[in-house]
Amino acid sequence: MAVVRLLVANLRKLVRRPASWVTLVLLLALLALIFVALIAAARTSPEPEAALGARLFVTFPGAYELVLTMILSIGGLLAVTYGAAIGGSEWGWGTLKAAVARGESRSRYTLLNYAAVAVFTWLGLLCAFVLGVVGAAAGAAFLGVGLAGMTDPDGLRELPELLGRAGLALAMNAAFGYAVATLARSQLAGIAVGVGLFFAEGIAGLFLPQVFQWFPFSASSAVTSPLSGAQVGGAGGGATVVTQLDPNTAVLAVTAWLVVALVVAAGFTERAEVGG
Amino acid sequence: MTSSSSGVALATQGLAKRYGSRVALDGLDLRVPEGVVYGFLGPNGAGKTTTMRILTGLIRPDAGQVELLGRPFGRRDRRRLFDVGALIESPAFYPFLSGRENLRALAATGAPVPATRVDELLELVNLRERAGDKVSGYSLGMKQRLGIAAALLSDPRLLLLDEPANGLDPAGIVGMRDTLRALAAAGKTVFVSSHILSEVQQLVDVVGIIARGRLVREGPVEDLLREAGSIRIRVAPDEVAGAAAALGPIAAGAAVTPGSGPEAGWLTVRIDPARGAEVNRTLAGAGIYASRLETGTTLEGLFLELTGSHPDVTDAAALGTDATAAPQATGWRS
Repeated sequence: MAVVRLLVANLRKLVRRPASWVTLVLLLALLALIFVALIAAARTSPEPEAALGARLFVTFPGAYELVLTMILSIGGLLAVTYGAAIGGSEWGWGTLKAAVARGESRSRYTLLNYAAVAVFTWLGLLCAFVLGVVGAAAGAAFLGVGLAGMTDPDGLRELPELLGRAGLALAMNAAFGYAVATLARSQLAGIAVGVGLFFAEGIAGLFLPQVFQWFPFSASSAVTSPLSGAQVGGAGGGATVVTQLDPNTAVLAVTAWLVVALVVAAGFTERAEVGG
Repeated sequence: MTSSSSGVALATQGLAKRYGSRVALDGLDLRVPEGVVYGFLGPNGAGKTTTMRILTGLIRPDAGQVELLGRPFGRRDRRRLFDVGALIESPAFYPFLSGRENLRALAATGAPVPATRVDELLELVNLRERAGDKVSGYSLGMKQRLGIAAALLSDPRLLLLDEPANGLDPAGIVGMRDTLRALAAAGKTVFVSSHILSEVQQLVDVVGIIARGRLVREGPVEDLLREAGSIRIRVAPDEVAGAAAALGPIAAGAAVTPGSGPEAGWLTVRIDPARGAEVNRTLAGAGIYASRLETGTTLEGLFLELTGSHPDVTDAAALGTDATAAPQATGWRS
């Protein structure tokens, strides 16, 4: 009962929190922008490859997975910042102090606060997915691509699993930001460090792909990807290796990182001295 | 330590806390009886807030024991705090939520709170009209009142308030004082730390004065003031010696201190301020008539004496100002 009470209270807080809506609007706006740019490029670009790529993006049922991949790439970073903002503000505003002084369990408070973040992350994913599908359908109409694939049974059957995987990945990203901000005891520091780690991992992965494919953000981008194995290309003195975990292995890695992030956040909060 | 049957709401024994090389608490022994308003006084850095944080489980002591409402309180005893309400340092709220929403969010933590309690408390602290406004628009005093309401959410038996009058206007201070006295009258224990000594003097039943991490004096406020009481008498400068001699026997060994410089003509006798008439009669019997007689001592004077604090006074010599100007107002009553 206490768990439900606290979770409901946290959800109510996030509904009123400007950061929730700013993050969602930003995600939707960026997604919309991508579709607009895609369609415009397809219609105006003299390159046939551009038109072909755009048509692939708006051809169902494959468009479902591509929309989710786009959401994971943009939304992944936004989830990190959102988690950091929510987690860090409890320390910065002193509201964790007030709860602890009332006898609330520190770890339960931390985990249920995160749980509300995860719920909002999933809701954001659903909103973005709906917008993405609408955008893809609109794009298909603009580019003269048929929409028969939207009701493809195999495609629809895979949707819940794809959404679940994407939700898990975004939840892990949010947990990562949440944990970093908790350790930093600051939403600003958490956002900065989280974003920094996000990009640093991406850059490091170019040089050590075999290692960094296991890291949180690389793994989260692989949970829905149909690609597997390594692709080597290039001429002359350079060779580009693109390595990505297969989706099932990526799910395991993401789950592990999610657990680690929550254990770190709850464990740190349990042992830390809570100041003013 | 003690059991709940002995009527002790809060007790600490040998409480110690260090931050690096700085000693915040150095063996603090507190004993707060049930049903009183206890004033916890000390200069900046004495350890008041550190004590409050330990009592609410925010930080852990390096050594010592704590008892809340007769039962030991440690790392695994967070549920003891279900009967404790606290306002530690500045009140903490979500700026984007209203006052009412903040209280509801806080009510979801710790002990269960009846649904009607939030509005009752908003009425009590006179915030009902602004309860729907975002806390980001509240003044310091409003936030402080909301913080007091938050501390009362679970109808606690023990209330820990760190500088509750901070930011309150005079009407707010009077209202807070009345509320705290009513809570004590209802059997609750109120533990208040404050720098506003004149306010504490009017509010509290028992005082504990902390300095450099240790309790230097504790007891009923009336007893402490009586022990540290003085009477000041003004006589003609050539009658000071005679007055001191006349008052010596009734002072019974206590100091009779003649003033000097700007205080020339004043005598200070360290005795119970209630004996002012006796002092006056004694002087008249010796043929000496005082032109002024002032009684009492403030908690401030006792506090400064016990803590070794000095008023924040500019060095007049360094500024080249007149050091023989009239003495500052002391708050004494004639």
